[in-house]
Amino acid sequence: MVFTDFSLVVFSTLAQLAVGLTVMAALQPRAAGESGEVKLKVEWVTAGLILAAALMASMFHLGHPSGSPRALVHLSTSWLSREILAFGCFGGVLVLAFLTLWKNSGGSSLLIRLTAAVGLAALLVSGMVYAPPSFPALNNGVPVLFFLLTAFILGSAFGAYFVGAERQGLLVKVLATSLVVGLVVNLILPSIWLSGGTVARMTGANFYGSWLYWLRIAGEFVVPLAVLGAWKKIPAWLPILLLLGEAAGRIMFLNSVVHTATNLGGLY
Amino acid sequence: MAPIDRKFIERALASPVTRRKFLQGLLVSGALASMPGGLLKAVTSEAGITYEGKYQVFRNACPRNCYDTCSIKTYVKDGVVQFIEGAPESTFTAGALCVKGFSYWRRAYSPDRIKYPMVQQGRGSGNWKRVSWDEAMTRIAKKILEIKKKDDSLLGLGLTKYSGNFGITNYGVEGMMSSLGYTTRFVGTPCWPAGIDAQNYDLGNMWCNDPEDFVHARYAILWGANPAWCSVHTMKFIYEAQERGAKLVVVDPVFSQTAAKADEYWRPNTGQDGALALGMCRHILDKGMYDKEFVTQHAVGFEEFAEYLRREVTVEWAAQKSGIPAQDIAKVAEEFATAKPATIWIGYGLQRHVNGGAMVRAIDALVAMTGNVGKVGGGARYGHLYTWGFNYHALIQKQPEGSKGYVGATGPMGEFDTGQGAKAAKYSDRAVNINQTARMILETNDPPVRMLWVSCKNPFSQDFDLTMLKKAFKKLEMVVVVDQFYNQTVEQADIVLPVTTLLEEWTQNVSYWHYWMSLNEQAIKPMFESKSNIEIAALLSAKMNQLSPGSCTFSPKLNSKKWMEMEFNKGIYDLFGIKSWQDLRKGPVKAKLASSAAWHDYKFKTPSGKYEFKSDLCKEHGHQALPEYLANRKPYAPYRLLTPHSKFNIHSQFQNLDWMAEFNPEPFVYINPKLAAKKGIADGSLVKLSSKVGEMQIKAKLTDNVAPDTLLMYEGWFNKNPYNVQNMVDDTSADMGKWKTGAPGVAIHDQFCDVNPA
Amino acid sequence: MSKKQAGFYIDAQRCIGCYSCAMACKNQYHQEPGVHWRYVYPLKEEIYPHRERAWMSLACNHCEHPTCLEVCPVEAYYKREKDGVVVHEQEKCIGCQNCIRSCPYGAPRFNPARHQAEKCSMCYQRLDAGLKPACVQGCPTYALQFIEDMASFDQSGKVQYLAGFPRFPELNPSVRFRPPREPREVRR
Repeated sequence: MVFTDFSLVVFSTLAQLAVGLTVMAALQPRAAGESGEVKLKVEWVTAGLILAAALMASMFHLGHPSGSPRALVHLSTSWLSREILAFGCFGGVLVLAFLTLWKNSGGSSLLIRLTAAVGLAALLVSGMVYAPPSFPALNNGVPVLFFLLTAFILGSAFGAYFVGAERQGLLVKVLATSLVVGLVVNLILPSIWLSGGTVARMTGANFYGSWLYWLRIAGEFVVPLAVLGAWKKIPAWLPILLLLGEAAGRIMFLNSVVHTATNLGGLY
Repeated sequence: MAPIDRKFIERALASPVTRRKFLQGLLVSGALASMPGGLLKAVTSEAGITYEGKYQVFRNACPRNCYDTCSIKTYVKDGVVQFIEGAPESTFTAGALCVKGFSYWRRAYSPDRIKYPMVQQGRGSGNWKRVSWDEAMTRIAKKILEIKKKDDSLLGLGLTKYSGNFGITNYGVEGMMSSLGYTTRFVGTPCWPAGIDAQNYDLGNMWCNDPEDFVHARYAILWGANPAWCSVHTMKFIYEAQERGAKLVVVDPVFSQTAAKADEYWRPNTGQDGALALGMCRHILDKGMYDKEFVTQHAVGFEEFAEYLRREVTVEWAAQKSGIPAQDIAKVAEEFATAKPATIWIGYGLQRHVNGGAMVRAIDALVAMTGNVGKVGGGARYGHLYTWGFNYHALIQKQPEGSKGYVGATGPMGEFDTGQGAKAAKYSDRAVNINQTARMILETNDPPVRMLWVSCKNPFSQDFDLTMLKKAFKKLEMVVVVDQFYNQTVEQADIVLPVTTLLEEWTQNVSYWHYWMSLNEQAIKPMFESKSNIEIAALLSAKMNQLSPGSCTFSPKLNSKKWMEMEFNKGIYDLFGIKSWQDLRKGPVKAKLASSAAWHDYKFKTPSGKYEFKSDLCKEHGHQALPEYLANRKPYAPYRLLTPHSKFNIHSQFQNLDWMAEFNPEPFVYINPKLAAKKGIADGSLVKLSSKVGEMQIKAKLTDNVAPDTLLMYEGWFNKNPYNVQNMVDDTSADMGKWKTGAPGVAIHDQFCDVNPA
Repeated sequence: MSKKQAGFYIDAQRCIGCYSCAMACKNQYHQEPGVHWRYVYPLKEEIYPHRERAWMSLACNHCEHPTCLEVCPVEAYYKREKDGVVVHEQEKCIGCQNCIRSCPYGAPRFNPARHQAEKCSMCYQRLDAGLKPACVQGCPTYALQFIEDMASFDQSGKVQYLAGFPRFPELNPSVRFRPPREPREVRR
């Protein structure tokens, strides 16, 4: 079973980027004064727009987008319903935080932190949607781990656009740490799959056997880590490279992870 | 399914224009599907059809060349078939069809169907032009009259027709030819002729037990038969025999699906079944396990046969010839001889060898000497024509006054020739061998075959030596093909005429295996401009008489329902215990048999009236009087090539449907992993097959279901795929078949080729 | 637990892989080209040593705890009280394909014309009319049978998880199998 649905790649990657941005905004100490505030506002608006784009992309995944509001009706058991609610809440508090930010009214920092927390919660919920029993390689915490890595890698990288070059220290640390964790996870995970059941094994073989996988290892992890190590800062082109790497990773996540039904008639 | 769809469909169906709309939809989707590029791929959006109840029910019957000849129940609403099912009234069909039968909906409503009479400008060009029926018939009739004028006879008009539709009224195609004059007929059968002759020599006719009495067998050998693919409805009776304790042995060069269901599977050397059977006979003789009463009271020539066995046959010799160890031959021989009753099903593949008839006779002898002939649950099962006693009214037509034809000796015109045609006439049709279509067209002269009428047959997919056939067609001045799809023969036609499917015509069907009879009603109006074979004959007759009064005797007035009615007679009614064909509207009926066992009264139809281990007639016909060992064909290439039936098609029919392609998208050559390793062939890789006949490239599938010295491809016609097994096989004859069917069979399993990575 | 649960019995010893069941389903519902609700899967050679000679006919397993029903965000699935048949209501479906991704048995399929999922309904309208599912009636060897109630089905000699059929006890698929046998072979 192959899911070549690009809308899901766009939706999930961008939504996680938006969450990442809010998380970084919550963590990032700002320069006092006008410029720091403007940058935060721009960052916040950007996160909102990216989230909107992500939600828009998700509509293209649906056979009948007009029915999407009804997708909230099955909160009792459907993680997808919960995901939609979670991202709705995330968008809601994001907008609320923006309003307080705009009016410079009090409590904006609290709301920013709340937005980041709701965003992280939405990622957890989202991870559950992608962990059904039909994908033994993912029927665990792996999707959540992947999504968190995406949020932290892209959030810290893109966050660099919104802080002064001199204040990148924290972002570089977060990015470097996320990339190291991401590299280790991505290198080791297929081996773990290879030691599992047939379908997980097929997934592991798919990953190790894919040029896209190795390209991503090099392009998204090895090269950027070297750059960070050498320059100790995030050059303007790096976030774009990382975004491409994450998109590649998401394509593999959606296309190369093997569904149990593909092996019906074989040993499991 | 979804209520919203149901409502939509209900509303749509309630409208009087439903059927028309439905048909228009099909036309549009067909037109779109035929355009290049996936963007315009038609979406028919049929989903939403659901079981609603309150259908109009019609009776149909599958007319294909198949043991099972299923009785069908067709559910219609507003002139559109909704679905079909196996008739539950028949204990043989028992409510189920097969993968092919269940695809009939798609066949009738396929956007790929030939919809109108079409004329091709240049054979093989694909440059088809739609013409009216009148225009098509004018062209055809003029050509016939031209031939008649040129040759002073119609021997230049040839007919090749075989098993594409066994509905009885379809013999109106032969009738149409007779009604025009004396013509050239491609006679015989590629199917089962050597075995027919063999059984006639031994027993005096081909007659088999009711397959439903398999349940009584205590021991069954399926010898070269693969009912799991070719007679799926018989499997339930075989299973029941097994469940009642019978042992099932399958003998086949291929580990078939049936073999997988056996208790014991033997893979002998291909074409050595005769030696195997004779070895078993010898062992039974030595052990004194033969039926002394049967061989002395009801048979002749057993002593001579026994003497031959003692002189020429040993179990070790049989083991050496067949590759089956002597102790296994001895063990199964003893088991077979002592189980009462025991039966053997002789498959048709077994006799498609240069020694095929002789091999069937050896197996007959094994069944006979163990006293299993004439026994319920026993018998040497091959086939029968016991229930085929129709009038053949459509078949038997008078030639026009003054017709001239062939002068000389003639034989039967195929296995269904009842001999009721006037044989005392001065002239006759010119018979040529159907199994050598290409050779016969090339070699027949004075006059040559100028025009060929093809119906119920797809020679380009089914006839042997395609290279020669392509050459032969160049000699033909006009080719008319009557068919439903643009198959490989239609590609080589000048004119194609669209013919109805079973759902659109009246006829009746019986089987050559079971004993049921079914009515085939016209369930829906013919799609597009298709016509039944009998309507086509009537149309041609009208045109002939318009252009040249008195040139055709075929009645242009009778409708196909009337033709169907006229095929029945008292004999048929009595045999089946019905008063009128109308009774068949309630469901299929089974012949009232005195016993389920063929030859239960031991009144054999041989010259001696007994089972003939020694047949003088057989010797007279140029064979051995005894069922002696006959050597197989000498290989002319390193590997044997088998091209048997697939489960997804009956010859060239069904596989072309998109529904079927979903389950069987592409053909393969099946190769044993040992041979593949030797040749460096990987699973799924492209290989090249080559023989003295031709060559082809195809993907390999590795499986130990075939022997290391054998290559296997399933025959069939895939839509938009040049795949054709006839590229690789020649037209060598089998030993027998001429006596009862007019031409010897064809040794289609005595073929050889080489294989290499492409 | 007085509620009944209908199911399918797949006798792989009787099954000849003839695809009649799968085509009988198409004959009844005329699915879009490329869409089939029932399919006949060959058991691979590590399970049955001869290629394409043992089979497993599968459609929807009408699980006791169906994943499709659980994951569907619009409640397009429901489980019938009277027989446990899992029904997909296509008019509710928004085509998110979450069921298709999530069902480990691959039962729901995507209809490319309607942009919606669909799957085997166990012919519940036929069941309500007192008939067998089309596939079951269409099986010429009685290898595919309808189980009226899993609870009263004689389980002797039968397994829920045939080799080749993945094990998901938490779903509890309503199918039972009889494994295929092999003949004694005499090969040259």
